[in-house]
Amino acid sequence: MTEFRQNGDVFRYATAGAHLIVSSDQTVPEILQMTKILLIEDDSETAEELVAELTQRGFEVEHAASGIEGLDKARFIKPDLMIVDRMLPGMDGLTIVEALRHDQIRTPVLILSALGAVDDRVRGLRMGGDDYLTKPFAIVELVARIEALLRRPIETRETMLRVGPLELDLIERTARRGEREIELLPREFRLLEYMMQRNEQLLTRAMLLEEVWNYKFVPDTNLVDVHMGRLRHKVDTPGDPPMIHNVRGAGFILRAPS
Amino acid sequence: MNLAEFASSSTFRAATVAAVALSLFVLVLFGFIYWKTDRLLVTRSDHVIALQLQTVAALPNERRLDALHLQLSQDSRDVHFIGLFRADGSRVAGNLERPPATLRLDATVQTVEIIRQRPAGPEQITVQAIGQQLPDGEILVIGRYVDEAIQLLMVVSQALALGLIPALLLCLALGALLSLRAERRISGVNERIQRIVAGSLHERLPVNRGRDPFTQLAGMVNSMLDEIETLIHAIAGVGNDIAHDLRTPLTRARLALERGRNNARTLPELRSVVDKAIASMDQSLAIAAALLRLAEIENSRRSTGFGKVALEELLHEVRDLYAPIAEDKGITLRTDIVHAPIVEGDRDLLMEAVANLVDNAVKFTPRGGQVQITTVSGDGESILRITDTGAGISEHERSAVLRRFYRSDAFRKTPGLGLGLTLVATIAKLHGFRLTIFSGEGCVIEIGFPDASEIKV
Repeated sequence: MTEFRQNGDVFRYATAGAHLIVSSDQTVPEILQMTKILLIEDDSETAEELVAELTQRGFEVEHAASGIEGLDKARFIKPDLMIVDRMLPGMDGLTIVEALRHDQIRTPVLILSALGAVDDRVRGLRMGGDDYLTKPFAIVELVARIEALLRRPIETRETMLRVGPLELDLIERTARRGEREIELLPREFRLLEYMMQRNEQLLTRAMLLEEVWNYKFVPDTNLVDVHMGRLRHKVDTPGDPPMIHNVRGAGFILRAPS
Repeated sequence: MNLAEFASSSTFRAATVAAVALSLFVLVLFGFIYWKTDRLLVTRSDHVIALQLQTVAALPNERRLDALHLQLSQDSRDVHFIGLFRADGSRVAGNLERPPATLRLDATVQTVEIIRQRPAGPEQITVQAIGQQLPDGEILVIGRYVDEAIQLLMVVSQALALGLIPALLLCLALGALLSLRAERRISGVNERIQRIVAGSLHERLPVNRGRDPFTQLAGMVNSMLDEIETLIHAIAGVGNDIAHDLRTPLTRARLALERGRNNARTLPELRSVVDKAIASMDQSLAIAAALLRLAEIENSRRSTGFGKVALEELLHEVRDLYAPIAEDKGITLRTDIVHAPIVEGDRDLLMEAVANLVDNAVKFTPRGGQVQITTVSGDGESILRITDTGAGISEHERSAVLRRFYRSDAFRKTPGLGLGLTLVATIAKLHGFRLTIFSGEGCVIEIGFPDASEIKV
């Protein structure tokens, strides 16, 4: 469990099973079910740190140090998610993913790599709903992406998104908070839509840039913060309990007021 | 060079192959001549004996024997065979004991075996013969041994020996000479190359006077070496830059951690130190990532990921992205986009390039300034122009800003990695677009999209 402070509030941030739970009171959230993660990483030190960190966050982690071992374990323990290093001794991690997909195993995969992501195979991976993270990465980024992969938004025919008092009409392209109509620019609408589909989930700047702005790179300027600032200004007017939370050094969370 | 090495040298091998091929050709040619001539001689001789048979057969009985004797007496080479036999096969006259067993008496020329009586004893030879039963029942046989064929074979063999063997030797000698010469030059080149491989990059291959392919090749390799030498010096320079730019944040991180370790008294104090160190490390990691990305773009092939990119839509997207930031800084961001072309390119990279230019423009323009995104038609190209009212880039800095890590001294305090414009230049180069920096009120940067790269709609 991780703690962070924001405007005097203490947030407890824990990952349990397939659910990320953020609570502002002192109660420790109940662990719902253990999520199994298979980590295929040949560098023992990196693996050790990652196993420790993910275990601490409530995941059940299995480690494989080579591609062959990883492939065996993937078939045997049937993990809920796999984290695969791309450069394994004598093997490209993507080959493992392709082998599993060939066997109709659809476990979500997060590829870690020291290589950039201009590769066509990586593009294919992302199209398939999996993710790719360039080494080195912040742990919070890794965890946020694990969450995103585990909680893929359910494809619904729902045309109305609701989080607490917040409503988004995907047909009329209108937004309202309670009785109040919110005027949004097209990009702000898309940002809010993305956040509402993933409420209670930590969204990092890189994730937002990739998914909302379709950016494959991170510019120097704090683009996301400026845009998020504007959206927050419109969603959380003075007097309302805040719904968009800035998690320092990590990203943003949309959450219904308690 | 020892003999085995010499024999296996490619020049010598080629010469040997040529010699063998030549010999085969000559053999076939001579064989053909022999065969044709032999046929001709046999045909002519066949004609003669058929005529003789007719003549003798037509003579009255009593003159036949004289004619036969005359024929045999004139045969100095012992190649004529004549026999006149009774119907039961017993000999009347001539130098044959009996009619050849396989000879059909139908007045056609055939090849048969006969026994020839020589002083050394009887010998079996193959001759051309013709036979006929005469009206009075007697059998007349005339044969001829075509010994010219043997003489012909001898002539041909002699000609072969006289012509082919010297030609073969000449081929081999020439091959040896050529391979020796090539070997001598190559060993000279090898020596230099070994020195170059060992590190003396200033060495060059020997260049002879003249314009043979060898000299041309050496010249080409030398100019390649010039290029490599220049590049290596450039890389060494870039390496120093990288080391400097990576070290600066790492030094800060190290200092913060060392001081924090010794001085921090409380957990929050230690945390703030660690946060500082992480921020510094993130900066050096960002530099490493940006460098990798540059290398990635430089190495990527032109066509992968290329498609039609509508510039107008892309520019509006960049405008939407940066409008809030410009507004926060009190900068007017204006767009004047007309007839923006649809170009062939990688959308993500082009977006990155344009975003980088606008990012720079907004970053380096003071509060109250203006940034403008314009498209105009130029001479044979469409031009995207991004102007700002910042300090601009002075003439002597213009090529430098496109280099890695160059940051104008005036902006040392502005956050950034100093790789933005390099990236833009690399992307433009990959697409074959023109990138030019001018001075206007502030900085003016143009990307020229050649009309050929536009897709007409």
